[in-house]
Amino acid sequence: MTTTTETVATPVYPKNFLRCIRRQNVFTAFAGGIVGFVVMRILASLFFRGEFWHGDSNRIVTVAFIGWGVGFMAGIGAFNGVFRWFAGKDLDHAEAEYMAGKDLGVKRYFRYTTDHKVVGIQYLVVAMVILAIGGTLAMLIRTQLGISMELFNPNTYNSFVGTHGVAMVVGMIVVVTGPIGNFIVPMMVGARDMAFPRLNALSLWLVVAALIPLVMSLFMGGIRDGWTVYQPLAIQAPPGAVGYIFFIVIFAISTAVSSVNLLVTIIRMRARGMTWSRTPIFVYSVAASVGLALPFFPFYMYSQLLALSDRTLSTSFFIPERGGSVWLYEHIFWILGHPEVYVIVLPAIGACMEIMVVFLRKPLFSFRTAVVGIAGIVALAGLVWAHHMFMTGWAPLAGYPFMISTEMISIPLSLIVLVMIGTMWRGKVWTRLPMMIIYAVVFNKIIGGLTGIFLSDVPADMHFHGSMFVTAHFHYMLMGTGLFGAMAAVVFWFPKMTGRMFDERVGSIGFWTAFVGFQITFMGMFAAGNLGMPRRVFQSSELFLLSNQISTVGAYTIGVGMLIFLAALISSWKSGVIASSNPWGSQTLEWQTPTPVPLENFPVLPVVTSDPYQYGVPDPYQVERDLETQKEPVA
Amino acid sequence: MSQDLETSPPPEPPTNRPLPPGDRLGTFLARPYVKHIAIIWVICTLIWIPIAYWLSDNMGAGPAASKLMGALKETVFVFTLVSAPLMGFVLAVILYSWLGWGRVSGDEVPDLKNPAIKGNPIAITIWTIVVSFLAFFLVTWGIVEYTVVNNYAAGSDNPEKLEPLEVHVTGQQWIWSFSYPEQNGISSETLFLPHNRPVVFKVTSEDVIHNFWIVPMGVKIDANPGEVTLAGVTPDTLGSFPIRCAELCGMHHAFMQTQAVVLDKADWNSWLASMGVTS
Repeated sequence: MTTTTETVATPVYPKNFLRCIRRQNVFTAFAGGIVGFVVMRILASLFFRGEFWHGDSNRIVTVAFIGWGVGFMAGIGAFNGVFRWFAGKDLDHAEAEYMAGKDLGVKRYFRYTTDHKVVGIQYLVVAMVILAIGGTLAMLIRTQLGISMELFNPNTYNSFVGTHGVAMVVGMIVVVTGPIGNFIVPMMVGARDMAFPRLNALSLWLVVAALIPLVMSLFMGGIRDGWTVYQPLAIQAPPGAVGYIFFIVIFAISTAVSSVNLLVTIIRMRARGMTWSRTPIFVYSVAASVGLALPFFPFYMYSQLLALSDRTLSTSFFIPERGGSVWLYEHIFWILGHPEVYVIVLPAIGACMEIMVVFLRKPLFSFRTAVVGIAGIVALAGLVWAHHMFMTGWAPLAGYPFMISTEMISIPLSLIVLVMIGTMWRGKVWTRLPMMIIYAVVFNKIIGGLTGIFLSDVPADMHFHGSMFVTAHFHYMLMGTGLFGAMAAVVFWFPKMTGRMFDERVGSIGFWTAFVGFQITFMGMFAAGNLGMPRRVFQSSELFLLSNQISTVGAYTIGVGMLIFLAALISSWKSGVIASSNPWGSQTLEWQTPTPVPLENFPVLPVVTSDPYQYGVPDPYQVERDLETQKEPVA
Repeated sequence: MSQDLETSPPPEPPTNRPLPPGDRLGTFLARPYVKHIAIIWVICTLIWIPIAYWLSDNMGAGPAASKLMGALKETVFVFTLVSAPLMGFVLAVILYSWLGWGRVSGDEVPDLKNPAIKGNPIAITIWTIVVSFLAFFLVTWGIVEYTVVNNYAAGSDNPEKLEPLEVHVTGQQWIWSFSYPEQNGISSETLFLPHNRPVVFKVTSEDVIHNFWIVPMGVKIDANPGEVTLAGVTPDTLGSFPIRCAELCGMHHAFMQTQAVVLDKADWNSWLASMGVTS
């Protein structure tokens, strides 16, 4: 932590701040949440009298979770500003600085702190916790699939699959945009903080508040229906499914808050002189990602709110025997479900492009093509969702337009690949860990892209839909591209975020172990899916046993690799080599500030005069050509 | 050096004309790394050929049991091969970047003196055209093949132009049941099908969404509660084939399997007779 000099000063408590508000932190938040949960649960049990003895009924759990959420957010202090504003009194400067964590030392990481750098670190930890939960469940799933006996109850297994899915999806959504987006983007555009610092803290603590219902659901019957929780199957699930609904609804609110915040920061708060053509590509990719999340995430929320209403209010949006439609759920779900993939992948790819120029000491090959590629993906992302529904029997003729729109996405995506390989073209490379990870990312992106072409095509999808092949494909995109890209980003921005260098020796052992394990796992899974193994099965026939065992061995290898990587991360954070302010010699603005970064980022706000890719020497071949075509003879 | 200048004719003055296109291509191809990348590209492309064969041969763990499945296998084969050159090229460039253009390690920021290539209209244009052409090809192939597959499903591939046999498929947690309305509504939990006669499946579900998948025949359709969905195939191979549920449907989803048994004419009639149907 970057607190060596800051802990000395004693924090100045603003006088008119209430004493209790001063002390609010994550512990009071949990206390508030638990009190809210218990109180609301008892009240609900009294109110829904007939259900008193059926303690875990849907309604009671719903009300109790509402109590949890409100209690937690009140405990962390999220409502203080609102109440003070209602009382006609907003924060003065000293109070705002106190809320931003000025002179609070390590404590500020456990509070409702508005400083974007603190929020970024908090997001990093939260994302790692979520990914660790998902990863542990993945190990349990693979263990079951690798042996031919019954290790878990099938329902337990199904709830592992569902919880793994949703934890990983949400973990992946926050893992780049959360830590890097919050910590780095404001500095990258030359701002002192995010546009709405208090909303920034709100978005983080909403994620933390949402996490608890997800974990609790594991002990209340679990999410047994995959991360898609298709209706009407989910209606049958025990009240643990309410935990999923709460997780998603609260997370959707957090995403909306965070998206607006990042978009406004990027659009309105760029430094003087930072025109759109001088804005780093990572900023574009984050803007594209949150720009997609903002309109599409509410669909996810609708789908879950309607499902909650089916559960608790006796409506029947998705219950066929009472006039509901199962296809309605699938549509609402996938209208988010596909853009969400780009929400995850775009920031990771943008980070890779941002990082690779630094290690190749070469400008980005065609900045405009990269922007066009990102824009093309954003434009098409909302038009492709029904390719998840090719085999549902809903309007078979709709297969044609959705097949066309889906395959069109390969064009903008290939433009981004062109920019990446064009940047590598003829460049000597500085072989540091982030750059090495990027090679792995491009490799995985190719495999994921190729297998995506199969799935976008209706005839091929007739075989692959709902099989392990799909699972392997999206792991190549989300994990192979998204998570590995996020690892590159974390290693790259680690010196700025923590003030210490990442231990690349141990880190690269961990990364390459995970990479090899990753290939083994998902190649085995491609094989199983191709042979005809359905997804989300608890046990498979003898036919698939070998490929499943291969996958399981690979999965353990990933687990070991990730643990080594995590160990490198923790040990470098605690006792790594102290980093200079710009160890990579990068030209983007965030590296031009001192490390540790002062509270308001820049002593003097920077003025931008060129794009941040002024690397390299004039191309000798181009110089030669210019000489040959020059009008005047060379003296 | 000075002697050379005196004896040889004076060099041609540089002109403002660009090199003719052939020459520009020639000088490009003469660069040392281009040949290496081309070789790696070819190798990386050829790798996909065995993969394409392996993928299409092992789809559904065995040979196709219908023309429909044959079309699916062909699609996967062609798609793999068509995308191979592009995949191979990207692989070749990242491999060469990793190993070929030189590398520097160390903690200090190195001065690599890399060429500052900012855009190359020719490369971008060629790339965009090639990718668009490939995407166009894949889309066209998909549209044509999907139409073909739909025709197969409607029974266009049966040699004797027989009337399709109607089978009602019902999924429920966690069994499949099949009934034959034209054969006095007999029902069975194993799917018996006549050889070389088109079949139309009317698929529905009693509780949650299932997915009716006869793996080696390429039949896959959701069984939705409250809806009837259609699928069809003409089985052209005798034998028994796995049917699996491909949509998570609860606790015993993994075990919601049965067999599709394709019988020749005599066996089909004797099966019907054993079920009490006289033809």
